[in-house]
Amino acid sequence: MIAFVTRRLLLGLLTTWLISVLSFAIIQLPPGDFVDAYIAQLASSGSAVSAEEARSLRELYGLGQPFYVQYGKWIARVVVGDFGESMEWRRPVIEVIGDRIWLTLALSFAALIVTWTLALPIGIYSAVRQYSFADYIFTFFGFIGIAVPNFLLALVIMYFAFTMLGASVGGLFSAEMTLAPWGWEKAWDLIKHLPLPAVILALAGTAQLVRIMRANLLDELRKPYVVTARAKGLSEMRTVLKYPVRAALNPFASNLAYQFPQLISGGIIISIVLGLPTVGPLLVKSLVAKDMFLAGTIVLLLGVLTVIGTFISDLVLMWVEPRLRHQLD
Amino acid sequence: MTTRRKFLGSTAVFAAAAISTDALAQVVAGKGQFGASGLVGNLQGPTQSTVIPTSFKEAPQLAELVKAGKLPPVAQRLPAEPMVIKPLESVGKYGGTWRRAFIGPSDGENGNRIMASDKLLFWDFTGSKIVPSVAKSFDISADGRVTTLHLRKGMKWSDGAPFTADDFVFWFEDIYGNKDIVPAPIADMAAGGKAGKVVKVNETTVQFVFENPYFLFPSMIAGDTLIGGGQSVQQSSARSYGAYAPAHYLKQFLPKYSSEAEVSTKAKAAGFDTWVRHLHVKKDWQLNPEIPTLGPWRTTRPINTPTWVMERNPYYYVVDTDGAQLPYIDTIVMTLAENIEVANLRAMAGEYDLQERHMDLAKLPVILENRERGKYDVHLDLAYNGADTTLHVNMDYRADPLIGKLLGTADFRRALSMGIDREQLNETFWLGLATPGSTAPAEAMPENPGPEWRNKWSTLDIAAGNKMLDGLGLSKKDSDGYRLRPDNGKRLVIELLAVKAFMDWPKHAEMIAQHWRKIGIYGDVKESERGLAFQRMLSGDHQLFVWTNGGTELLYLYPSWALPTDVSNGAYGVEHAKWYASGGTHGTKPSDPHMVRALELFRGAAGQQEAERHKTAQEIWKIMIDQQFHIGICGQSPALMGVRLASRRLANIPGRTCIAQHCRTPGSAHPESWFYKA
Amino acid sequence: MATDADRYAVASQAQLIWWRFKRHRMAMISMVVLAVFYILALGADFLATSDPQATDSRTSYIAPQPIHLFDADGSFRPWVAGIKGVRDVKTFKLVYTVDSNRRVYIEFFGHGYKYSFLGLETDRHLMTLKDAQRGEGIYLFGTDLLGRDLWSRLAVATRVSLTIGLVGVTISLFLGVLLGGLSAVYGGVIDTIIQRAIEVIRSLPAIPLWLGLSAALPNDWSVTQVYFAITIIISLLTWTDLARVVRGKFLALREEDFILAAELAGASQLRIVFHHLLPSFTSHIIAAVSLALPAMIISETSLSFLGLGLRPPAISWGILLQDAQNVQTLALAPWLLLSAVPVVLVILAFNFLGDGLRDAADPYG
Repeated sequence: MIAFVTRRLLLGLLTTWLISVLSFAIIQLPPGDFVDAYIAQLASSGSAVSAEEARSLRELYGLGQPFYVQYGKWIARVVVGDFGESMEWRRPVIEVIGDRIWLTLALSFAALIVTWTLALPIGIYSAVRQYSFADYIFTFFGFIGIAVPNFLLALVIMYFAFTMLGASVGGLFSAEMTLAPWGWEKAWDLIKHLPLPAVILALAGTAQLVRIMRANLLDELRKPYVVTARAKGLSEMRTVLKYPVRAALNPFASNLAYQFPQLISGGIIISIVLGLPTVGPLLVKSLVAKDMFLAGTIVLLLGVLTVIGTFISDLVLMWVEPRLRHQLD
Repeated sequence: MTTRRKFLGSTAVFAAAAISTDALAQVVAGKGQFGASGLVGNLQGPTQSTVIPTSFKEAPQLAELVKAGKLPPVAQRLPAEPMVIKPLESVGKYGGTWRRAFIGPSDGENGNRIMASDKLLFWDFTGSKIVPSVAKSFDISADGRVTTLHLRKGMKWSDGAPFTADDFVFWFEDIYGNKDIVPAPIADMAAGGKAGKVVKVNETTVQFVFENPYFLFPSMIAGDTLIGGGQSVQQSSARSYGAYAPAHYLKQFLPKYSSEAEVSTKAKAAGFDTWVRHLHVKKDWQLNPEIPTLGPWRTTRPINTPTWVMERNPYYYVVDTDGAQLPYIDTIVMTLAENIEVANLRAMAGEYDLQERHMDLAKLPVILENRERGKYDVHLDLAYNGADTTLHVNMDYRADPLIGKLLGTADFRRALSMGIDREQLNETFWLGLATPGSTAPAEAMPENPGPEWRNKWSTLDIAAGNKMLDGLGLSKKDSDGYRLRPDNGKRLVIELLAVKAFMDWPKHAEMIAQHWRKIGIYGDVKESERGLAFQRMLSGDHQLFVWTNGGTELLYLYPSWALPTDVSNGAYGVEHAKWYASGGTHGTKPSDPHMVRALELFRGAAGQQEAERHKTAQEIWKIMIDQQFHIGICGQSPALMGVRLASRRLANIPGRTCIAQHCRTPGSAHPESWFYKA
Repeated sequence: MATDADRYAVASQAQLIWWRFKRHRMAMISMVVLAVFYILALGADFLATSDPQATDSRTSYIAPQPIHLFDADGSFRPWVAGIKGVRDVKTFKLVYTVDSNRRVYIEFFGHGYKYSFLGLETDRHLMTLKDAQRGEGIYLFGTDLLGRDLWSRLAVATRVSLTIGLVGVTISLFLGVLLGGLSAVYGGVIDTIIQRAIEVIRSLPAIPLWLGLSAALPNDWSVTQVYFAITIIISLLTWTDLARVVRGKFLALREEDFILAAELAGASQLRIVFHHLLPSFTSHIIAAVSLALPAMIISETSLSFLGLGLRPPAISWGILLQDAQNVQTLALAPWLLLSAVPVVLVILAFNFLGDGLRDAADPYG
C-alpha cells in the first residue's frame, strides 16, 4: 500500500520534471524572443526601440544565454516558489496569474460537476433502457455535443445572449464587481456568471462520459452475476445500482484525471472567445509575446495540476477497486 | 501676456499652418457617401483662450480635501498662468466615470493618448497648428540653433512638487545622458549630425541648443516624437525619452544620488534584477501609481491588472473659461477585453462611454444597428495619411537575387501597383469609406505634393502593367497564366507578408494576390504573428510588407513608414536605415539613386524654414510616389481609430476629430473637457 | 433458423463482423455519409461552381440563392436569377436585389476554372453558368466577405480537412501500434518508459502544446509543408490513445489459450505478434481509428481558429470557421456558419461508425 503510493508519487514527480523541461522547451522553440515581440508591439503603437536598446534589453533579460542556463536559472527559482517576472506584464508571474488560476480551476470544476451530474444518470438510463426513445434522444444530443466545436458554440451562444437576452457579454464578473475585493457578494457574482461557460465547456465531456458509462454498464449488465441476481428476483433498481453501476464507475474514476487537461484545454479556447479572465487568454498571449516565464509557469502549473489530478484519481480508483492496483503498476 | 505675444509673433514655427479647417472640411464635403451617411461631422474641438479667469473652481471631492487640510486651495495648486480651454459646447460639470476598454498591458497607448496634454507643445483640434501645452510659449532664434521654451510659473507635478527647468536638466543629464538607461543618443536631439544640449536659463525658461540650424525642432517638440512625445508615452514601456522627468521623485532610484549598491539593493528588494529595470517600472505612469505626472488624470490601478483605473490629477494645470479646474470626469475605468470581438460587443451593449480604439470598421453596420440599444452616437473620423493599407517594398532584399533585383526596379513596383483594383478593396474592407490611391498625405496637408499624385501609378491599368512586366523580360508564362522567372523557368512568386493587426491585412493581401493574377504575378500571402513579422523585417527577410503608413501625414515627425530612417524598422531595408541613421558610417548605401536623393532631401530639411521645408517634403513625396517605394492602396479613412462610439450622456464631444499620429487621437480633442450631462 | 445457425457456425470472422455491423443502423448510415463525403472530397474541384479563391467586391456577402429547376414553359432547364447589390448609404449594409426576370441558365459539364484531377488538366465542372455577367453566379451556400462562393470553398476545404484526418491518423496508428506493441511485448523498462511518456503527454493540456509547436513552424514554409507539419503535430499527441488500446489488447490476449498453443508449438515471438495477435484485434484498431479521426478534425479546426493551424490561402474547415468567428458574420452573413455543418456531420458519422465497428469487433460477444 505505502509502496504503491510512494511509487506513484515518485512517478508523478518524474512526470512533473519532464513537464517542466517540456514546457520550458516549447517556449524556447518559436523563433525570435521577447525583445523582438516587444519591438513589434511598440512599433504597432507608434513607438520604437533602437537596435542598441534592444541589445541592452536582451542582455538585461539574459536572452542570449544557452537553453540549459536559462532553464537552470528558472527552475532553481521555481523550486523556492519564485516564478520570475512576466516581461510583458512587468510584474511577478505569480501576481499576474493570481486569481486567474483559481478562476480557471473554478471553471473546470464547474464543468466537471456539470459533466458528472448529467453524464451519470443519463448514462445509466441509456444503458438500462437501451434503444428506447429517450436513449436515442440522449445519444443524439450527446453526439451533437461531441461534434460541434465548442469555440463555435461559445461564439454563437454569446452573440445570441447579447442580441436576445441583452446579457452582459463575456467575463466572469459584472462590471461593478471586477474591482470589488473578494467576499460573499463577489463569490455569488461569480456563481451567477459560471454556468454558461461551464455548460459549453462540459458539453463534449458529458457526451463522452455518457457513452462510456452506457457502454460499460451494458457490458456489466450482460454478465452472469447480473443474470443470476435478476433470476433470484432482486428488484431491477437494486440489480442495476448495487454492483453493475459500481463496476462501471471504475473507468469514470480513471477518466477523471485525463478529463482535466481536456477541460483546461477546452477552457482556453472558450475563455478566449468569451473573454473570461482565466489563464487561457493569458497563456495564448504570453506565447505570442514570447513571455517565456509567464507561459512556462502556466503550462507547468496546468501540468502539475493534472499530475495531482491523476494521483488523486489513482488513489480513488485504488480505494474503489483494490484489484486494479496491480494493473495500475 | 508678453510671452504669449511672443508665441504668436514667432514666424517660423507653425509646421503646418498652411492647412485650414476649411480645406479639411472640403475634403469631406466632396464625398457624397460621407455626406449621405450623416456620420462624418465637421472638424471641431475645444480651443484655447488667452483670458485667464480671476477665480477658480474645483471638483467637490477636492474641495473636501482642501477643507480637511489635506490639499492646498485650488488657486495655489494651479500655475500663475494656467492653460485656459474653451470647451467645444459649454463649460461642464464635475463627476462621472468614463468606462472604456483596453486589451492588455501592451495597450498602454490607449491611456497615453488620453494624457496627451502632458506634451510640451501640442496641436489644435485641426491638427494643423502648434499650440501651447505644458510650455506656455516658445521661440526659436533667427539662426534656428536655439529653441527656448517658457514654462508656466508655479506649475506643479501631481504630487504638489514644483515643475521647473530643473526637471529638464535632470532628464537630459541623468536619464538621457546615462548610458545604462539610454544606450544610444537619438536623432531628435541632433542637428546636422551634431548632438544638442538642454540648458536651464532660469526656473521657468529652458533652452535646447544645437550647433546647426534646427528650424524643425519646435515641430519635433509638438509631434509624437521621441523628444516631444511627453512623459506618458516616452517614459513608459521601458522608454526613457521625452525631454523632462520628475527629478524629485526619480533621484532615489538613480545611483548618482546614492550609490550603485544602494539602488541595486532597492531593486532586488522590489523583485527586480537590476536597478535599470526597477527604474523602468518606477518611471512608468501606467505601472506606478506613485509617479508624479502632469496629465489630467493619474493611474491608481496599474495597467497590468484586469482594470486600469485613473483618477483626476488635483494639480492639473488646465482650467475652463469659467475657471473650473479640469478634468470634469472624475475617474477613468478601463476594463480588460480579452479580444476585439468582446470589446466591440460590449461597446455595442453600451458598456463603454467613449471608445474609438479597437472599434472595427468592418462591424460598422452592426454598430449602427445597436445605436439605440447602447445609447451611443457613432462618428466617423477620417485620417490624414494616404494609405491605411500600404505595401512597403523591401529595397534591400538579398535572399533571392532575382526577386531582389525586381523589387529594386521601379517599373516592377509600378506594375504591381497598377495591377491592384483599389475600388474593390475599398468596397470590401472600408465599406467604400476610404480614398483609393497612392501613399501621399491628404490633399489638405501642407506636405501633399499635389492632387495629381494621388493616382500616379496607383489606378488599375492591367494593360500598362502587363506591358511593363513584359518589358522587364518576364514575358514567359506557365499554363495558369503566371509569369516565369527568366533565371530558372519556375513560376515567379512574390511574397506578401501580412499581420492581422489594426485591419485584417492578410485578407487584403489575399484579394491583392487575386488581382495580380491578371498581370500574371503569383502573390503568395504569408500571414504572420506580429512579433515574428517585425523580426523578419529587421532581418530583411520580407519582400512586401502590408501595414499602414499612418504618421507619414507629417513626414518629418514620423518618417518610419515612408523612408528607411529608423533602425528599428526594416520595412525598406534595415541596412539602409542604419546607413542613414549613422550618417554613412554603418549599414549600406541604397543602390537606388532616387532613394539616396530622397534621404538627402530629408536630412537637409531639418535646417530649413517652414515654407521651404514643406517644398522639400513635396519633393520627397514626388520621388517616393513616382518610384513606388511603397504602394498605397486606400487611405484617409476611419479604419484606424476613426470609428468613434460616444455615449449620449457625454457632452462637448466633437462631431469629427483629427485622426493623425501627431494629434494623439483622441488627445487633441482634450478629453478633460468632456463631461456627463446626466 | 437452422440455416442461419449453420451459416453462423461456418462464417469467417470478417463475415461475422460484417453481419453484426449491418445491424447497427446508424453505423450503416454513417458509412454511407462518409463515403459521400470522401467522394465529394475527391471530386471537389469538379463540384465547385466557381473558383474558390476568386474575389469580387460585387459579390460580397450574398445570401444563399436557390437554383430554379424548371423554366417558364415548365421544361427542365435549371437557372438562377440575376442579382445586383448596392451599399445602403445609411446602414452601410450591402443590399442585394434579385431580378427574377433575368434568368441565367446552368450548363452541366461546362467550362470553368482550370484544375487537375488525378493528374489530368481539365476545366470541366458539374455546373457552370451560361452567359453570366460579372457578379452573377451559382450561390448555393452564399458568399463570404471577399465575394468567394462558399459552396466551392467548402468542397475544397472538405478535401483538405478529411485528408488531414486520414494522414494524421495513419501516423498515430503507426506510432500507437508500434509503441503500444513494444510496451506490451517487452514490458519491463521499455513498458515503463513508454507508459511514462504517454502519461506525460496526456497530462499536458493539449492546446498549449499545439500552440508552442505550431508557433515554432518556420514562417516561410509553403502551405503544403505547414499542412504536413500540422498533421504530424496533431498525431504526435493523439497516438497515446491508440497505444493504450493496443497495449491493453495485447496484454489481454497474451493470456489466451491459442497464444499459449502457438508458443508451445514453437512459434517465434514476432510470428505470434504478427500472425496471431495483431489479426485478432484488427477490428478493435479500426474502431479506435475511426474514433480518433474526429479528434484529429476538431484539432485542425481548433488550431486554425487560434490562427496557428493552416493559413490562407489554404482552405480548410478550420479556416472557413475562423472566417465566421466574428460579430459581423453572425449579424450580417450567418450563412457562413454553414461551414460547421459538414464538420458536425463528419464527426458524428465517424463516431457512429466507430461505435458500430467497436460493437461488431467482437462478434462472439
